[in-house]
Amino acid sequence: MRLGKGFKKVGEFNKNKRLGKKSGRKQADSSSTEYDGDMRNVSRAPLRDSLKANIEHVRRTTGGSPDVVVRKFVVGRNPGVEAAALFVDGLVDDKNVYDFVLEPLLQSNIPPQKSGKDLLDFIENSLVAVSGVERVSDWSEFFSGLMEGSTMLMLDGVSLALKTGTQGGQFRSIEEPTSQLAVRGPREGFTESLRMNTAMVRRYIRNPYLWQESMVIGEATQTRVSVMYIQGIANDKVVEEVRRRLKRIKADSILESGYIEQFIEDKTFTLFPTVYHTERPDIVAANLLEGRIAIFVDGTPFVLVVPALFIQFFHAVEDYYYRFDIASALRFLRVLIFFLSLVAPSAYVAATTFHQEMIPSALVLSLAAQREAVPFPAFIEVLVMEIAFEILREAGVRLPRQIGQAISIVGALVIGQAAVEAGFVSTSTVIVVSITAIASFATPTVAIATSARIIRFVFIVISSMFGFYGLVIGLLFMTLHLCSLRSFGVPYMSPLAPMIPSNAGDTILRKPIWAWKERPRLISQNNIIRQEPYQRPMPPHRTGDTPPADTGDKSPANTGGTPPTKTMEKTPASSGDDKGENGE
Amino acid sequence: MIGKWRRLVVVLICTAVLPGCWSQNELNDLALVFAIGLDLTEKGEYEMSVQVVNPGNVAGATQRGGGAGGVPYTVISATGDSPMEANLKMSLKLSRILYYGHANLVVIGESLARKGVAHALDALERNSEFRTTSRVVIARGQSAKETLKVLTPIAKVSSNQIQSMLSHSQTLWGHTVEIDVWELFHDIYSTGVNSVVSGINIVGNRADGAKQTNVQSTEPEARLVLDGLGVFKQGKLDYWIPTNGTRGVLWIMNKVRQTNITVAWQGKPEAIGYHIVRTNVSVRPHMKNGKPSIKIRVEALGDILETLVPVNLADADQINRIEKLIEHSIWKELTAAVRNMKERKTDVFGFGEQFERNYPKDWRKLEADWFSVHFPQLDVSVEVNAIIRTAGLRIKPFKRTVELGG
Repeated sequence: MRLGKGFKKVGEFNKNKRLGKKSGRKQADSSSTEYDGDMRNVSRAPLRDSLKANIEHVRRTTGGSPDVVVRKFVVGRNPGVEAAALFVDGLVDDKNVYDFVLEPLLQSNIPPQKSGKDLLDFIENSLVAVSGVERVSDWSEFFSGLMEGSTMLMLDGVSLALKTGTQGGQFRSIEEPTSQLAVRGPREGFTESLRMNTAMVRRYIRNPYLWQESMVIGEATQTRVSVMYIQGIANDKVVEEVRRRLKRIKADSILESGYIEQFIEDKTFTLFPTVYHTERPDIVAANLLEGRIAIFVDGTPFVLVVPALFIQFFHAVEDYYYRFDIASALRFLRVLIFFLSLVAPSAYVAATTFHQEMIPSALVLSLAAQREAVPFPAFIEVLVMEIAFEILREAGVRLPRQIGQAISIVGALVIGQAAVEAGFVSTSTVIVVSITAIASFATPTVAIATSARIIRFVFIVISSMFGFYGLVIGLLFMTLHLCSLRSFGVPYMSPLAPMIPSNAGDTILRKPIWAWKERPRLISQNNIIRQEPYQRPMPPHRTGDTPPADTGDKSPANTGGTPPTKTMEKTPASSGDDKGENGE
Repeated sequence: MIGKWRRLVVVLICTAVLPGCWSQNELNDLALVFAIGLDLTEKGEYEMSVQVVNPGNVAGATQRGGGAGGVPYTVISATGDSPMEANLKMSLKLSRILYYGHANLVVIGESLARKGVAHALDALERNSEFRTTSRVVIARGQSAKETLKVLTPIAKVSSNQIQSMLSHSQTLWGHTVEIDVWELFHDIYSTGVNSVVSGINIVGNRADGAKQTNVQSTEPEARLVLDGLGVFKQGKLDYWIPTNGTRGVLWIMNKVRQTNITVAWQGKPEAIGYHIVRTNVSVRPHMKNGKPSIKIRVEALGDILETLVPVNLADADQINRIEKLIEHSIWKELTAAVRNMKERKTDVFGFGEQFERNYPKDWRKLEADWFSVHFPQLDVSVEVNAIIRTAGLRIKPFKRTVELGG
């Protein structure tokens, strides 16, 4: 009987989905024996007086799912009021539910005259010992509370329920992030719990102006999404734009931040990511301090950061933790790596099939000797090897870790050695393809490495037809395209194009931290000055006219990780005065 | 607007398909030419020979490609009324496309050089693949084809060998000159200079030079040797300066980098060896009352490398006297070179060009009979300043040196 009912439900759900909301609502109106509303549109009908009817409603709506626990009890003695606590097993913290919600209700002496609403008031004000207590009057709120992990208290004769914040349950503990590793720097990465993630960031920025806005997106999944920014640094217009784009989403489900990313990115038809995502709270904190906005999505460790700039994808978090000269050198290397992973195979094809004169004589001899026995043109050779490599990589990513090793051995043998010995490909092609492969792994963010992966193939085809001429035109088009992109209104290539000299100190070069005067101008438009100038470390007698006591006063406030509230409220005009004062 | 994307797609497909892949050549379709030889046959036709490298036999690192036993290159030649025709005729003998992008040497046969190289060089200079930075040598007393055939022992491809010989010999010994096609081409059409080109000779058994056995013995049967300087007059090879007379000429041309000078000491000839490590020559033209003159100033810096007689090099006085001797020796060599060139009426130093640059108005009067009148009568003064930098690791002589030397 139950099974049959279940099947019927599924069928009806599908029908509703197909026919749209109208028929769904009609269904809900006509029969109350099945359930109220459909899964995307939980009925907003009010709760009833009768506890029994209410429990029956919950049972019906949840299909009698065993994880929805209904604990009936009696509050007070003679006569006592029938009551029930409802919660979803696994979503609640058991200790909270039993010790701070149920226990006080069962143990305490309740004045006998209280009943109905008075009793509910009394419970709310005097008994329940957890936070987040709220009154709920309709089913929609009731179920969203229940599914969040709250414990819902209902009394017989009252058409209200009491929501108590008992969220909890098991989460993956904080671990080292797997996608953005750093030798130096914090070891913690985001988890699947939204609250844990936001707390991690707040530990970096202990400031009341770190604001958060919460919303629920996904009609079926009811996913919690949190927008975080620093009030006073983030540009209000961008915050408003983020809010607008998020609110516009009328999706059925949001399972990962990638869903959100695709809804809010500026341009769909581009190979370049215009939304940054990260697994590291320190990166999010740093970005917030530059005026960016973070979007947390419940259930995923990947946090979105907007606006994203092209150059940002080449910055590893360690760049900021290493000294500036080393960091700058590493960034140069990374740009080179990206360029290599983009054009190495196509340049090889172009040089060997069109521009043999560009290869040094000794090398051209060696290349020619290797190619003597190879049956395919260089283009086919490179293309086949690149595809073979992509197959290996894809296999390596998907395979369980134990088998992954076997794949890499097979790959190394097959591609590296056997293919050359069998005369399929030349050694030099293998070298070029492997350099490209290693380069694409060395790119600090996966998002940009993936773009390079696709564009690489386009370039190989172009340069096989037009040589370097085609390759250069391809690069030109890519650059034009990059310059045309915007991320939440900020030019994607800034601060390089348009060139903003005062921000160029944190692009390919990274100036010493003390030399950072300004935040990215186009991102945080209302609070540009980041810290006080002239903080270069030097012996005390050379600091100039400033008495030592004065500097002693000022510097700790700024060198500590926390940006002082004072700085945040500064407008560029007032900070200009400040600068002048310091300079003299 | 509807067709915007469709139109774009059509354009893209056209651009991809219609132009094809111009000038696309796989490496293994190319015959890599490393050296070009130009000769004149007895019938008066041009004969062009090219050294086509067989990569499999040159690049040592590969296991594949025809076995290591083969020759590193083949020489292919064809005749024609022009170098271009000869070039195209070579396809009769070759399975691949000749590719001149890596040619780094041009060998001109003496017969052609005597008749004039302007036409042949024009064909090379016009070619878009060929690089005018390729070096030029003249096959002295044999054809260019014969020269290209000689297998050389250390560098597998003889064009590389000749090129290295030219450059190393110029910097280390200062008796040969590295001239590229562009310089020769330019000098031939210049009115104020005669060009010089190093000669190359085959020493030993010429017939065996082309065989693999030539490089299988420690002393090859046939060897390529740089020999003398060919002087061009109006685009034609005029005469040869023998190797022992080339240094003075090259020195004034400021082409000498390092070289060795020996001077007599205490009655012993060639007793002290002076090695020049750095030398610079400045040539200053002067016009006085329409009469041209040239001042040459030579700066030389060097070390004492060997002494056959005991010399106390800690003594500044002795050092000064040795320096004077060296200066005199250099002065003699340079003035002899100038005298020699004046007699031959060939201005290989480019004194004429100096006047053209510095006194363009006066040059117009001199230009017409520069070689016949003004150059032979030119007043050339040479001033030398030689400095001994160190005397090696030994300052005071061993006493026994006297006995050994004696």
